[in-house]
Amino acid sequence: MKGTICALMLAGLVLSAERAGAVVTGSIFGPGSASLPIAVTALKNQGGDQGSALGQRFAAVLSRDLDLSGYFRLVDPKTFVEDPQTSGITAADIDFVGWAAIGAQAVVKGAITVTGDSVSIEFRLFDVPGRSEVAQVGKRYSGAKGDLPRMAHKAADGILEFLTGERGPFDSMIALVSTGGSRLKDVYRFTFDMDAPTRVTDERSIVVSPRWRPDAHAILFTSYRQHVPRLFQVTLATRQVTMLVGGPAMVLDGAWSPDGSRVAVTREQGGNTDIFVTDASGQNPRRVTDHWGIDVSPAWSPDGRQIAFCSARSGGPQIYVMAADGSGIRRVSQTGSYNTSPAWSPKGDRLAWTTRAGGIFQIVVASADGSDARTITSQGSNENPSWGPDGRYLVFSSRRGGQRHIYFADRDGKTLKQLTHGPGDDTSPAWSPRL
Amino acid sequence: MSGWWKRGLVLALVLMVPLAGGCKKKGPKAVGSEAAGSGFGEEGLGNSSLERARRGLAPEEGGILGDVRFGYDSADIESDALDVLARNVDWLKQNRNAKVELEGHCDSRGTIEYNLALGAKRAKSVKDHLTGQGISGDRISTISYGEELPLCQEETEACWARNRRVHFVILGQ
Repeated sequence: MKGTICALMLAGLVLSAERAGAVVTGSIFGPGSASLPIAVTALKNQGGDQGSALGQRFAAVLSRDLDLSGYFRLVDPKTFVEDPQTSGITAADIDFVGWAAIGAQAVVKGAITVTGDSVSIEFRLFDVPGRSEVAQVGKRYSGAKGDLPRMAHKAADGILEFLTGERGPFDSMIALVSTGGSRLKDVYRFTFDMDAPTRVTDERSIVVSPRWRPDAHAILFTSYRQHVPRLFQVTLATRQVTMLVGGPAMVLDGAWSPDGSRVAVTREQGGNTDIFVTDASGQNPRRVTDHWGIDVSPAWSPDGRQIAFCSARSGGPQIYVMAADGSGIRRVSQTGSYNTSPAWSPKGDRLAWTTRAGGIFQIVVASADGSDARTITSQGSNENPSWGPDGRYLVFSSRRGGQRHIYFADRDGKTLKQLTHGPGDDTSPAWSPRL
Repeated sequence: MSGWWKRGLVLALVLMVPLAGGCKKKGPKAVGSEAAGSGFGEEGLGNSSLERARRGLAPEEGGILGDVRFGYDSADIESDALDVLARNVDWLKQNRNAKVELEGHCDSRGTIEYNLALGAKRAKSVKDHLTGQGISGDRISTISYGEELPLCQEETEACWARNRRVHFVILGQ
């Protein structure tokens, strides 16, 4: 069976190189199959990369992305047949027979030049059985040293685009709430080259529900900094915090519409919460739900025409969808007595939410109309899913033992990896659009 | 007014001083202007569960006024809670100038935003009960902390039950 998969993969690579299209899809080659053995070598130092540190860092970040994707099996660098610092980086120079002998079907090689703070890299993907370079994938990047991880993420995203027809999601950020080990909370950010998230805000208060502005330059969040919770926005470049939606009553959460023209917010009045839509400056709130039961957690459809939300109008919390003006409310979660925190895939075709099953919480992925709902997690207690920009992967918080951390899974639940480590209790991940 | 309560007030005043200083540094975003609309000064909030957390303290359980407990995913006043509520109503009637903030809290089993909404419902249920017993609504403010400030962390029925509560914070008069 494994031989068949490899043969198909090989056919895929060779065919793709000719058609420049994606031919490898479906269940044979998908997240969780870990079917393509790939060797990722350090970038060859062509000047200035002391100790080859940056060249190795690029390979490490790229390898981690490819491993997370679930499509690949990373070939152990200890078995590599070429020294990246002395071997060539063109098809004519590569020992394809040697790479094939250690089981590699694909090889990533490249070079790096460092001048002061500037970095220039090139990377190439080679089809080992085809004994050729996959020319469409190779890229040259230049920028500051600090941009190197993003170059690796872009390389990973490009490799996935070539092999699967859908660009990868790794050149992006995840906003989250963390305690950083204290009793109080702040907004943190995480990129796929980090081990632990880094702090963005200085609230040292209760912070909930971070959400990206569509341009990924700012994060909306709810903070108790004024005692009563309000909706704020932090600009990443300056760390400046401004209030978007104020009182007098509590503001529980907020979400930018995908075009950035409106904000859906949950406001409390007289003990009850309803959803409102404001303009881009947080002004002119217009009520879109009006029910004595809890309404909370608005999530926009990617076309901005609909809003999914959580409501307890039928008793326990369930997932509903309505038009953005509040009309046409319909329940989409059909099973379970407790369904919360909907997230709409950026592709528009799927919803994810949190469900309670047997006293613990799991992540559900369903079609946008609620049909074909499947629970994709089984270990630990899992909450607050957020979709990646490719609609193929999700992140969510998971408690497996003491602290909660952010986990990563494909939408079928075949791959599952822990993303954040460190002392903090990490919750409420929000995955940014592509950068 | 009994002696121990006076001591409590003095302690609260002592605690207020560093807090007020901290707020002044932050300028107009301090609590005072926000809370003014609901008829409260910032000074009384020094013993709120959030301010205690900022000082590195665990939330207070009970106190002069007892916590009102709730069932899972419920904001209904249970018959078990009526004794505590009756004692709290008596105290509020005897201390006519006292104002309280009702903090709605939840256990950890649920999504963060939903639990914030549920905590608001719990605080409102208790407020409605108090006003139904003749306590003026002007003396009562409400806030929800959802599952953010638990009394205990264990994943046990006993701990969850303690965390599902409305806590009374007595504000300065």
